[in-house]
Amino acid sequence: MKSEKFRNFYKTVPLKLFVLLAAIVLIAFFSNDFGLVDIQKTAVILAVGLDKEDENYTVTAQIAVPKGSDRTTGGTSSVEITGEGRTVADGFGQIYAKTGWVPKLVFCNLIVVGEETAKKDVFCCLDYFLRNEYMSDNCLLAVCEGKASELLSSTSAIDDTSSLAVEKLFSDASEKSGKVMKNSLKDFSIAYYGPSHSSYMPYVRAIEQSASSGESTGGNTGGNGGGGSSGGQQTQEKVFSAQETALFRGGVMVALLNAQETFAFSLLESKIVAGTFTVQKEGKSTSMTVIEDKGSVELNMEGAPKATLSVNVRLRLYNRCSASPVEDISASTPTVYDLENANAYLNNCLALLVQKCVESDCDVLLLKRSLYRSSLKKYREWEQTLLQAVTPELKVTARGIT
Amino acid sequence: MKLTGTLEKDLKTLKNILPAEDILTFSFQSKNGIAFTVVYADPISDKELLGEQVIRPLLRYDGKATAEDIGKSITSAELRKNGDIDKLAEEILGGNPVVLFDGMDEAIITGVKKVFVRAIAEPSTDVAVKGPREGFIEDIKINTSLVRRRLKTPDLRFHMMTVGRRSTTSVAVCWLEGTTPKKTVEEVKKKLQEIDIDIIPDSSYLTHFLSSRPYSLLKQVGTTEKPDIFCAKIAEGRVGIIVDGTPIALTVPYLIVEDFQSSEDYFVPAYRATFTRILRLLALLVAIYLPAFYVAAQLFKLQLFPVKLLLTIAGSIRDIPFSPSLEMLLVLFVLEVLNEASIRMPKYVGMALSVVGALVLGETAVSAGFVSTPAIIIIAFSGIGLYAVPNLIEITSVLRLAMLLIAGSVGTYGIILATAFILFYMVTSDNFDTPVLAPFSPLVKRDLRDSIVKYNLGSLDMRPRTLKSKNKRRYKNG
Amino acid sequence: MAKISSRQLYFLLACIMPVGKLILMPTHLVYEAKNDLLIPAAVNILIQAGMIFLVMLLSRSNKQLYDMLEYTFGRVVAKVLTLLFSLFLFFAALFPLLEQKQLVQSVFYDTLPSLLVFSPFFIFSIYICATPISSFGRVWDLLAPISIVGFIGIMAFSIGSADFGALLPFGAAGTRAIVSAGAYTMSWFFDSALLLSLVGKFEYKKNMAWKSSLFYLLGGFAILLFLAVFYGIFEGLALRQSFAFSKMSKYFSAITALGRIDYIFIYALSLVMAYFCTLPLHAGVDCLNRALGGNKVATPLYSAGINLVMLFLMFLLDNNFQGANNLITKTLFWLFPLFCVLIPALCLLLRRSPREKRKVS
Repeated sequence: MKSEKFRNFYKTVPLKLFVLLAAIVLIAFFSNDFGLVDIQKTAVILAVGLDKEDENYTVTAQIAVPKGSDRTTGGTSSVEITGEGRTVADGFGQIYAKTGWVPKLVFCNLIVVGEETAKKDVFCCLDYFLRNEYMSDNCLLAVCEGKASELLSSTSAIDDTSSLAVEKLFSDASEKSGKVMKNSLKDFSIAYYGPSHSSYMPYVRAIEQSASSGESTGGNTGGNGGGGSSGGQQTQEKVFSAQETALFRGGVMVALLNAQETFAFSLLESKIVAGTFTVQKEGKSTSMTVIEDKGSVELNMEGAPKATLSVNVRLRLYNRCSASPVEDISASTPTVYDLENANAYLNNCLALLVQKCVESDCDVLLLKRSLYRSSLKKYREWEQTLLQAVTPELKVTARGIT
Repeated sequence: MKLTGTLEKDLKTLKNILPAEDILTFSFQSKNGIAFTVVYADPISDKELLGEQVIRPLLRYDGKATAEDIGKSITSAELRKNGDIDKLAEEILGGNPVVLFDGMDEAIITGVKKVFVRAIAEPSTDVAVKGPREGFIEDIKINTSLVRRRLKTPDLRFHMMTVGRRSTTSVAVCWLEGTTPKKTVEEVKKKLQEIDIDIIPDSSYLTHFLSSRPYSLLKQVGTTEKPDIFCAKIAEGRVGIIVDGTPIALTVPYLIVEDFQSSEDYFVPAYRATFTRILRLLALLVAIYLPAFYVAAQLFKLQLFPVKLLLTIAGSIRDIPFSPSLEMLLVLFVLEVLNEASIRMPKYVGMALSVVGALVLGETAVSAGFVSTPAIIIIAFSGIGLYAVPNLIEITSVLRLAMLLIAGSVGTYGIILATAFILFYMVTSDNFDTPVLAPFSPLVKRDLRDSIVKYNLGSLDMRPRTLKSKNKRRYKNG
Repeated sequence: MAKISSRQLYFLLACIMPVGKLILMPTHLVYEAKNDLLIPAAVNILIQAGMIFLVMLLSRSNKQLYDMLEYTFGRVVAKVLTLLFSLFLFFAALFPLLEQKQLVQSVFYDTLPSLLVFSPFFIFSIYICATPISSFGRVWDLLAPISIVGFIGIMAFSIGSADFGALLPFGAAGTRAIVSAGAYTMSWFFDSALLLSLVGKFEYKKNMAWKSSLFYLLGGFAILLFLAVFYGIFEGLALRQSFAFSKMSKYFSAITALGRIDYIFIYALSLVMAYFCTLPLHAGVDCLNRALGGNKVATPLYSAGINLVMLFLMFLLDNNFQGANNLITKTLFWLFPLFCVLIPALCLLLRRSPREKRKVS
């Protein structure tokens, strides 16, 4: 009798457990809070600006503001909130306190560092982002002229949100043009912690537009949003340029590559697919497009250290400032003379790049890394002096399309 | 109880067993004076045929008073003799009039029952653009004849039995001798024989008794309304069960993959069939998981949305007074109610109902700010996905609700765990020694040729190994 | 339900066992061996492949471990040894559970959630551990393609971002670092012990021993490829990339446009991992059951008890992960070579059939 009872009880255990489980799920569903931070309580941070003044950090978070369901215009509205503190974390804490929104960095795709901040070790502030388990280290890095907070708060002529306008400069297409050298937090950090201790970030300048605002607002997105950066006031609109590249050694900005040097750097990294450059000879300007780019940096340690910087490009004639025969226009093949000029121009660009690297002792071409990978012993021997001792050999081969 | 041979006494006994007023008797004498009494159930016996084929010849009869000779004079095609009163009562209730006559301990059962049948039509639940359109109806004889017409082989066997103490519903167990494993046939027969229930209104009652896990959320018995599918399944080595009074026939063993197959798949090119099967699977996954992932992403893992989509959603739900999970539950509830109502409503109201559902509830709820547009889109998409595999609607809608509740409670990890749990539950579900998830688990490589992918007919020369058919080869290739 | 088939066992060795090594093991290897992480991993894989070969030889008798212990040492000793073995399996299960908990909190949520979110795992685990092991074989049939698709998906998304030159120069970390990396990551290589618990639950077929080792090596090769890609992507930063498999694929360019579609593959592997975590627990419950009498009715109780203990430990170690990590992977690492190398090898000496009773004349 007793065992019968036990057996019956045992038989119904799964059902009882199922009911209990269902009850728990229902309670959890209607009360749900397991560290839950839903979309309504979240600040979706699109970009972060970092400035350091004295010992305090100013953190500017550009937060996306969703448009209501009745929205008739496109684009992304945003608002910039600033927080200050002894650390970047303090700054974010203040933003949280000010808004009541939990700052979420999962969508942060751009970190802008103010120029002055970049002149000290940027890892004092990037440390926060590297530690953050919930942030993607794939976000882009940039140094800006002046303060990062000002850049993010400026009104862009091409997008409602300034950070999205800046991000457009870092598109794959821009990179293929050789006008910009973008870098991510991950790659910057790898280079910082690697044998070269050197890396780079694009340098962004905000350029004021002469046209009055309002008429040109929106660019391809149209309309202005309700965010702080795009209010109804008559503000000076800006466009952004990132043709220059800031070089970092040990996390400190040590030099700035101009547009020409940035182009040369892109060539060496084999990134250019449709980049254009212009050569001037005897008062005539000729633009050529790089349609194929193979660049490399090779280090030879036999005898004295020698670095061979090779660039192998195929060019198409893009624009000539003189009337040309129709056959020439249709073929777009550069002449031998054009190719010689291009060769000389690119050689010069590379030389300038190398010179700047040597002057700033910034191993952005990762020579030390090459040495480390090929010979640990030699790396230890040359670790401090390699850049000063190396003899650069420049090899540019420019060919036209056939 | 046996007949005594005394007409009056036997008639009295029979009337005691069948006291209902619709059980009528008609007594008469033949030309040579033999007393006959015909007992029949008034509403279900064909009186015209009874008079024409049974009573008229007996009135003229002047032969010997033996059941054999009397039987010869009756012109009805279906004649049987029986001396068991209980059996005779059963036959009368089945619509077959019984002729009793004096001096004989056997009665003649005449098959002149009245048959009420609707015309054979295309089943509404299993529509095919290409392929046969006829479907089973409620009459077991017509249904078995539909099967017999397709399988004109002496190997096709029907085992007739009655199930249900009161309904004495006729059930036909059907199989192909030499193809279907004997063990399965015997097991089906045994399970049906063991059923002790008063009535069987529909074949779905039998599924409970044929399942190894009767309370399981998952299906364990296959169903079809189409004779072509039924025959194809039997030809693969399954056992079919046809129940009188229902157009839905059952097949065992059941594999879940069956519900992703449609009869049409075999009449279109293999690549097209594969594409539609994959589509059905994806639709089913969307139906179950989409609302759950949408809620889990909003509550716990915003990263699952691309940023632009996230901002669009955030904009849409800004003024919604409910949490994302509650909002989704509400919309799902409305969908289920609409669904239920639209099935049960008369057709002329159904049209109005869909207008109310689509316009009033959808449009107005969004503009009033009760629910957001993305939530409605998600549920609509899920709802459509549900109907891509119509045989699994009941299970899918329960799973969808369960997933939604879990997603709203613990997020994506809950969904993963629930999926793991369901998978484990499914792989341990066997019925008639056949795993429901075969040929995926356990993996039967050859059977994959007609699973979610479908090979050309040329590659389907063998019967599914999973079904352990004795006759392995379907046809000789090349 | 039938015994585990040879195919299902190969799936376990090649597709399911490697998945458990993709969460924290890569960072542990990098911590010790830096760019030489492949060497200690390869050594451990080779050792385990050898041990799997030996365990498979043992399984030729189709007798379970407990039976062989009983034939050799008698019932009491067999019970004690089986109990000890089950304790080791619970110990081995602890770190994968801790890993899984960390993974769940990091990968499935945007902000650090309550520990409660991991609790449902134990409901799942109680159910699984109370089911006979033969049911697992069929799950492996399903998990193998999921695991392969998840792995290939993540590899396809991440291999383009890897710079394999980062693995150079070979041997830079030094022998001592490589050896300690090998020793401290042994806690992930308890595969032979798991297989030992399965002996007798699958039918031994001809050539199964070397085939099993080969399949294990195939899975091992996948791990090595994964580690190479992992280090190639993160180089010096690899050290802080816990939950490696969930972080490698986000650099794929299509992600920007489509959102994190790589999560499909991450979740697929997480599903496999959920099952993987229950393996040592299940094996432990099974051994415990044999040691304590083999009562079928008691299995759910053992399962519930052990899982509740594990849940309690999860709460206890919630903020002491580093301490638990050091204890399991460093202080007590020797338990793994003992139970996963030495004991399986010694098991070859066990009797495979009962002693013949002496006839009393």
